[in-house]
Amino acid sequence: MSGRRIVVTSGKGGVGKTTTTANLGAALALRGHRVVLVDADIGLRNLDLVLGVEKRIVFDLVEVVEGRCQLRQALIRDKRLERLSVLPAAQTREKEAVSEEQFAAIVAELAESHDYVLVDCPAGIEHGFRNAVAGALEAIVVTTPEVSAIRDADRVIGKLNERALPVRLIVNRVRPEMVRSGDMMSVEDVVEVLQAELLGIVPDDEEVIDTTNRGEPIVLDPARRLSAIYYKIARRLEGEIVPFTSFEPRFLDKLLTLWKAG
Amino acid sequence: MEVRETEFAVAPPVPTPLGRAIVVTSGKGGVGKTTTTANLGAALAARGSRVALVDADVGLRNLDLVLGLEARVKHHLLDVLEEKIALDDALVRDKRSETLFLLAAAQTREKEDVDPEKMRTLVEQLRERFDYVLIDCPAGIEQGFRNAVIGAQEAIIVCTPEVSAVRDADRVVGLLPNTFRPQLIVNRLRPQLVKKGKMLSVEDVNAILRLPLLGVIADEPDIIIATNKGEPPALDPASLVGGSYRTIAAKIAGEDVAVPEPREKPSFFGSLGILFGGRA
Repeated sequence: MSGRRIVVTSGKGGVGKTTTTANLGAALALRGHRVVLVDADIGLRNLDLVLGVEKRIVFDLVEVVEGRCQLRQALIRDKRLERLSVLPAAQTREKEAVSEEQFAAIVAELAESHDYVLVDCPAGIEHGFRNAVAGALEAIVVTTPEVSAIRDADRVIGKLNERALPVRLIVNRVRPEMVRSGDMMSVEDVVEVLQAELLGIVPDDEEVIDTTNRGEPIVLDPARRLSAIYYKIARRLEGEIVPFTSFEPRFLDKLLTLWKAG
Repeated sequence: MEVRETEFAVAPPVPTPLGRAIVVTSGKGGVGKTTTTANLGAALAARGSRVALVDADVGLRNLDLVLGLEARVKHHLLDVLEEKIALDDALVRDKRSETLFLLAAAQTREKEDVDPEKMRTLVEQLRERFDYVLIDCPAGIEQGFRNAVIGAQEAIIVCTPEVSAVRDADRVVGLLPNTFRPQLIVNRLRPQLVKKGKMLSVEDVNAILRLPLLGVIADEPDIIIATNKGEPPALDPASLVGGSYRTIAAKIAGEDVAVPEPREKPSFFGSLGILFGGRA
C-alpha cells in the first residue's frame, strides 16, 4: 500500500511551513510511521537547517532528477528518529530545474516505501508551488491570524480546490492574549473566512526561534508546550478525534492584561 | 570665471534628476518586506518626498492591505504594463499623505504574465515623477523576484535574526547586481532573547551578510495590530517602531544618523523589578 502524500503550503512566506513540516514529520515518526520530508524550495532550502542535517547533505533532489544518484542515496536519515528522513533541495539551482512531472514521480516513488511523504512547499504560487503540489494527494495550509496571511491562504486554497486536493488548516502563531484584547483575529474567524477543516492551532512561542536555530524540532522535547500540540496534530492527521487545546488565560496572562490596562 | 544665470538669454534646460528606485527584498517570506516598504514609504513621504510604492507580488498582493488602501484599488500593475490603463489612473493616492502613491499588483494573475522589459520601462517612468520608487519584492527568487529587481538601482535587504532568513538573504545578495549596494535592515529583533543567547544578535547576522547596516527594528505586537488595521506605525509619533522607520528614512535621504540600538518595552517582570526598586 502506498503512503500518504501531503503538501504543506501557505502562499505567504514565513508563516511556519518548514517548522510545521519538520515537527509534524517528527511527531508522525515518533508515533511509529515511516516518514520522509521533501524540501521543494530549490534555491532557498531551509528544511535541512530546521532538522539540523545541513552538514550531512551529499546529494539533493535535483541530482536525483538528473540521474546523478539514486533516490535512496539522497535521503538523509535523522539521527534521533530512525523512521524520519529528509530529501534536501538543491541550494544553487533554480526551481525550473525540476518539472512538475519529475517532482510527482519522486513523490510517488517515496510513497512506496514510506507511510507519509510531507512536501515542504516554497512561498508563493509560482513554479516552485506547482512542483510541490504536483505529487500531492492532500494539502495542509498553514496560516497565521493576520489579514495578509489569510488573504494569501485563501488564494492558495482556491488553487488547491482546482486540483481537487482535500485541504486541512493549521492556524499558527496564535497569541491568545491579543485575540482576547481584540487585536488579533480568532481561530474561529480564520476558519470562517477560509472554510477549511481545522487540523491544528499552534500558539506563538518564542522557543521555536531558538530550537529552529539549533536544528532541533521542538516536538522532540516533551517538556515543551508545543511538543504536545504537534503530537495532537499528528494524531488528528491519522484520523483520531482529538479535542483542541483550550488557550484559556493563564494566571500570568491575566495579570499581564491587568497590568497593561493599568 | 563665474557664470551667472542672467548671462544666458534663455536659461539652460535643467535636467530633472531621476528618482531612486529601491527594491525591498529578502529571499525568505514573512520577514517584513511589505511592512518595511509601507513604513519607509510613509516616512519618506512625511519628509516631503514624492514616493511611489510598487507591489511586485502579482497574485499574492498585500501592500494595499498594509496601507489600508485595498478598497481604493481599481486597477493594477498588469493593467498598466499591458497598456489597458494609463499609469495615472492606476496609481492610488494614500489616505494620509498627498505625496505617497501605490501601484497595486494584480491579484488574479500570475507573475509569469509580467514582461520584464515593460516592467523596467514602467519603473523608469515612475522615476521621472517620483523621488523614490520602492518596489516590494515577493518571497523567493523566481520570476517575481526578477521582475521586482529589473527596474531598480538599489536594494534594501530585510532579514530577521534567524538562521534560515540569514541563509536566504545571503543567497539573494549573491543574485543582485553588484551596483545595487544592498543595505541591511534587521527586523523583529528581540533584545531580551539576544541577551539570553536565544536569538542571533545584529552582529551575528551581519558577520555572515557583511552589509552596511541601515537599521534595526524591534519585534513589537504593534506591527501586527497596525498591519491588520492598515495604518503604518511610521506615521504614529508615539510608536517606538515608527521612530525606527523614520530614522531609517532619514538615513536613506542622506542624513548622517547613527543606527540606534533597538529598545524594547520593559517586560512584565522587568517592570515589576523597577516597581520594587530592583534592577530591571
